[in-house]
Amino acid sequence: MAAAPTKQSLQKLYSSMLKTSESFSSYNFRSYFVRRTNSTFREIQDETDPARLAAFYAEKSNELAVLKRSAVVNQLYGGTRLVVEEQKPVRERGDI
Amino acid sequence: MFSRVSTKSGKALCRSALRSTVSRTTIKDARRSFVQPSGADRASVVDVPSSYQEDTAFSPRVDMFGFKLEASRREGGPSEKARPIYLDMQATTPVDPRVLDAMLPYLTDQYGNPHSRTHAYGWEAEKAVEDARKHVADLIGAEPKDVVFTSGATESNNMVIKGVARFHKDRKRHIITTQTEHKCVLDSCRKLQEEGFDVTYLPVQHNGVIDLAELEAAIRPDTSLVSIMTVNNETGVIQPIKDIGAIVRKHRGVYFHTDAAQATGKIPVDVNEMNIDLMSISGHKLYGPKGVGAAYVRRRPRVRLEPILSGGGQERGLRSGTLPTALVVGIGEAARIAKQEMARDHARIKELSDRLINGINARVEHVVRNGDLNGYPGCVNLSFSYVEGESLLMALKDVALSSGSACTSASLEPSYVLRALGAAEDMAHSSLRFGIGRFTTEAEVDYVIDKIVAVVQKLRDMSPLWEMVQEGIDINAIDWSQH
Repeated sequence: MAAAPTKQSLQKLYSSMLKTSESFSSYNFRSYFVRRTNSTFREIQDETDPARLAAFYAEKSNELAVLKRSAVVNQLYGGTRLVVEEQKPVRERGDI
Repeated sequence: MFSRVSTKSGKALCRSALRSTVSRTTIKDARRSFVQPSGADRASVVDVPSSYQEDTAFSPRVDMFGFKLEASRREGGPSEKARPIYLDMQATTPVDPRVLDAMLPYLTDQYGNPHSRTHAYGWEAEKAVEDARKHVADLIGAEPKDVVFTSGATESNNMVIKGVARFHKDRKRHIITTQTEHKCVLDSCRKLQEEGFDVTYLPVQHNGVIDLAELEAAIRPDTSLVSIMTVNNETGVIQPIKDIGAIVRKHRGVYFHTDAAQATGKIPVDVNEMNIDLMSISGHKLYGPKGVGAAYVRRRPRVRLEPILSGGGQERGLRSGTLPTALVVGIGEAARIAKQEMARDHARIKELSDRLINGINARVEHVVRNGDLNGYPGCVNLSFSYVEGESLLMALKDVALSSGSACTSASLEPSYVLRALGAAEDMAHSSLRFGIGRFTTEAEVDYVIDKIVAVVQKLRDMSPLWEMVQEGIDINAIDWSQH
């Protein structure tokens, strides 16, 4: 993977990571992964070095797969709402 | 939905059944409608014997008509209560979902014994264990071969302290530790005292940090081990490990052990830079699974210790017994993530901790922070004067907090760590420990501040002591036993 990923592919990766992060049922995990996805992609926003971009893309693609599986497991077992949360939120599944 | 309908119709049925028994006596030829049941007098129901004790045995009440009317517990049901906020990260941390994802293959398909050398199941498990060992070693700047997996930091501490002391017992019979160590270190030392060893429990200064001059003075020619924890579990105080390591290194034959259960993955730790010979690590304090830990045992220069467990000679013979592959993979992945996220996590935890302290200080007076102000920010120990810690905890139902370490939380004794810091008994009694971690959010911190402020205010309004303080009476000047 030497070629730098295009702007669109990064955008696509970002949006699917965000969507997957939002699909966690547990409040703490959900907010952590949303926050982390936003901050890591913001850091790379102005990066122009193709090698670093390619490495970033590869790393985040792996992480996306991990997050997708984790989100499914979390949906199976997690999800009791915390007292700080809105008590009846509507969520969509992000893994499909 | 179905059950709701049947409840309604059930009640209607019950009424009509009553009516029908009454009416049957009067009108004999009344036609039975579709839903009218026959009376109990016409049925021959035999009850199950009284000895029948199975779980599935279910005796319906009369108004149930054979339906089990309990709604199953499901998400969002009215029976389900919202969960409290977790602010006790020193007791344990939630397993990171990424860690669980790494563990799951070894809990399902890849179940081989990592010590099996004759087949692929064993090889893949062994590879996973060695990868995990490398991740843990990278986190603390060690070599993979120096890391021994155990069942947790308690086992690591026991193994190291008893192991080193017993191995050198012929020539060296002295151990140094501090008064604020974790229970498992203090108890291991007490056990060694029973075996005839000398133990020096170093006092700490008012901020919880030990006095280096006092440590140097305490080292004797027959000292075999110095054990000082990196981050305190109750106060978050960080000991000057680098300076301690340098002092201990000057004395040949004295080994330096540090209990870094609360430090690894949270603050940078490097065993070579800090001259650490032995170290204890816990899996579930760095977002890994419970039931696994690690001990760092230096090989060059070699630290020799007597193993507690004898057996198959796994883990360099220091800890025999089959490794739990999945748990080891979990601690490895947790260490990898911790190394990668340490700077980000630390900055965030610092921010949240400042938010918590400033938020509480702005709205409640007479709050004392216990321990060094430059300690680990994820552990904030506050004492609320004129409020009893246990009643504060009881009133804070929606927040999972602790007044000290989980090991001693069952007793009402004031924390020995705070007493060692020189806190007065009443202040040690009124302390709360806030543990902030990777997954804590601003909303949670704000919620906790609101709750704490309200509860402290309420408890103080009830307290006669607080009234006296408001009136300007010095509590300490009162002679309580006048008669």
